[in-house]
Amino acid sequence: MSRPLVALAAAVFVLAGLAPLAAMVPRVESADLAAIFAPRNLELLGRTLLYGASVALIATAAGLPFGFLVSRTDMPFAALLRPLGIAPLLIPPMILAMVWTVLADIRGAPAAYAVSSVSTFPLVALFSARAFERIDARREEAARIAGGWRAALRSDLPLVLPSVACGACFAFVFTVNDFSVADYVSWLGQPKFSVYAAEIFANWRIESRPGLAVATALPLLAVTLAALVPALVLRRRGAMASLSGDFRQPEPFELGPWRWPAFLFCLTLVSIGALIPAARLVWEAGGAARGFEFARVGQAFTLAIERGREDLANSIVYSLCAATACAALALVLGHALERARGGRWLESLVVLPIGAPAVLLSVGVIVLWNHDWSARFYDEGGVVVLLLAGRFAAFAILIVSAATAALDPRLEEAAQLAGAGPFRTLTRIVAPSLRSALLGGWIGVFVLSLRELDATMLTPAANRTAMFRIFNQVHFGRDDFVAAMALLILFLVVLPGALWSLFARRRLELLP
Amino acid sequence: MNAVELHDVSVRAGERGILDSIDLAVPEREHLLLVGPSGCGKTTLLRTIAGLVRPTSGRLELFGRVASEGARVVLPPEQRGVGMLFQGGALWPHLNARKQLEFVLGCARTPREQWSARVAELLEWVELAGYQERLPATLSGGEAQRLALARAIAASPRLLLLDEPLGPLDEELRHSLLAKLHELHQRLGLTVIHVTHAPNEAREYATRTVRMRAGRIVAEGAEAKERK
Repeated sequence: MSRPLVALAAAVFVLAGLAPLAAMVPRVESADLAAIFAPRNLELLGRTLLYGASVALIATAAGLPFGFLVSRTDMPFAALLRPLGIAPLLIPPMILAMVWTVLADIRGAPAAYAVSSVSTFPLVALFSARAFERIDARREEAARIAGGWRAALRSDLPLVLPSVACGACFAFVFTVNDFSVADYVSWLGQPKFSVYAAEIFANWRIESRPGLAVATALPLLAVTLAALVPALVLRRRGAMASLSGDFRQPEPFELGPWRWPAFLFCLTLVSIGALIPAARLVWEAGGAARGFEFARVGQAFTLAIERGREDLANSIVYSLCAATACAALALVLGHALERARGGRWLESLVVLPIGAPAVLLSVGVIVLWNHDWSARFYDEGGVVVLLLAGRFAAFAILIVSAATAALDPRLEEAAQLAGAGPFRTLTRIVAPSLRSALLGGWIGVFVLSLRELDATMLTPAANRTAMFRIFNQVHFGRDDFVAAMALLILFLVVLPGALWSLFARRRLELLP
Repeated sequence: MNAVELHDVSVRAGERGILDSIDLAVPEREHLLLVGPSGCGKTTLLRTIAGLVRPTSGRLELFGRVASEGARVVLPPEQRGVGMLFQGGALWPHLNARKQLEFVLGCARTPREQWSARVAELLEWVELAGYQERLPATLSGGEAQRLALARAIAASPRLLLLDEPLGPLDEELRHSLLAKLHELHQRLGLTVIHVTHAPNEAREYATRTVRMRAGRIVAEGAEAKERK
């Protein structure tokens, strides 16, 4: 490890992800803290916790069998359904809400529960799939000899459950911190569904009380960290339990007559989460009830590109820059976290920016950078890149640190003995060995940045992005322009993963 | 002169002692066999000599220079003149055979114009001529281990550390690699410390055997004398 390089990367991470949060702390007054315990806040917090826990449970009920079926069985088209299953996670939840509230005619809490469950089940599915396929064949065979498939399943489950629980924890975190779905379903009319994140937003935007906004955010931050820290421990336990040096891939389970029902189950999930929403948006872009025509779809796209050109370009550039910055940070910090003594304890600090409500981070960035001396930076895209990088760097860092844990340390020791310095070892030996994880982290941050709405809503420079344009426009009515813009976002979030699936020979590491 | 001298060297991990007051001297050009059951500290001793593990106490000298004093590392691994053949090879999976060796030559500041000849020479020595562009994944177990050996000696070390180098190989390959190691030992005048958990392994070529148990040296014997 190069200490100057690690120090530089840590400084950038602190500036982007931790300083905005730290800047908010002095603004809290005792009266603000007392307001945390106001009955309305407590009621909202309870409702949000129930919301998060229920969504995590539903996501597990759908994601665990999905992950098992696509990774360990002879189900037809498993190889196709596996990458398709990620799509609902990539699609901005607000776009899913836009589609399903109309299609299923649901409002309020049921709509929010349904949309968030559909949006987060791939998290559990991805973690489950990875855990199932990392079970050593010999372990499973030993159990099968002892007691057949039932015994094999009994021996497999303890190895898989930590990963499943880890996915569920992430689903919980995504849900309790999301503001856009609840905001959208409430905007549609009665019954409304308010969540805690919306209250933080209201305290800043409507009440103009930053101290109160920070104080209100504290319980949500505590809850999120309480879910993320076990998730990090479980993720490590899941990986440790199932990987060994001379690993052998297990045989797929034969489903027999259940092959096609299993396929239908997975296809239904993918359809609800991605295929139907995409089809519905195409239909809306083509004129919808006014009379669908393919020619209109083309016109809608032309209009969207014409009117939303600047927003789309901004979204792409900001996301590209944030992803590239995060990949560089991840290589240095992710590797250092795993290799440095005590590095694992610092993981809790690294996840703080994703653990904090997005609105809080956004307000912190405003407080930190909205000054005369930094006006140029604040008004331009730089601040958006900083905000997005600060928010999402943890994902890339955790992905790289997990990949580093699986990287034989002797590869680095051999380089060290050969005389390679820390920088050379990092760039010539570690980086090429971790390229799947680095690219996975890059794609993850790119997609998350592109679909981000909560964090970008308050920062003026970030208001010139495609997601914000959709958010704004949808409040003035749904038309083919909104549908075409949403489809363009869908295309952009799916594109990097699709290109990788088509042209790369190895699987992308997308999980922390 | 002794190639390696350990004076009262201990290594601890928290409360657990891994090496306990090791005293050992290895004369130059010796082929020392370090044997003992799994988990007795052989590999840790090797890694301590290489500088990959920091001792808790004691003094380590390499070719008359202090390499570590107490917990203070005086010479970092890359300055110890050590080559190491790792268990399983630890070849860099993204580099072909030529690049594996060029990486080491670059680190050793060997002039670039000499790389090509040196790579060819090294691959010739380990009978891998013509394998220059092959990636580790395309090599058999024996070939990979021979490439790892070429990499270990690429920078012309004076001390070669072998960590269970024959572990994954079959009987025939073990003999052929041992013969190759012996040949290089003789030709290059190397000092070799060879760790194994199988006492009969390499006894034919070793000049001395040191037996370890539970982090301590429990017996020493001169192989050549024993054979006589």
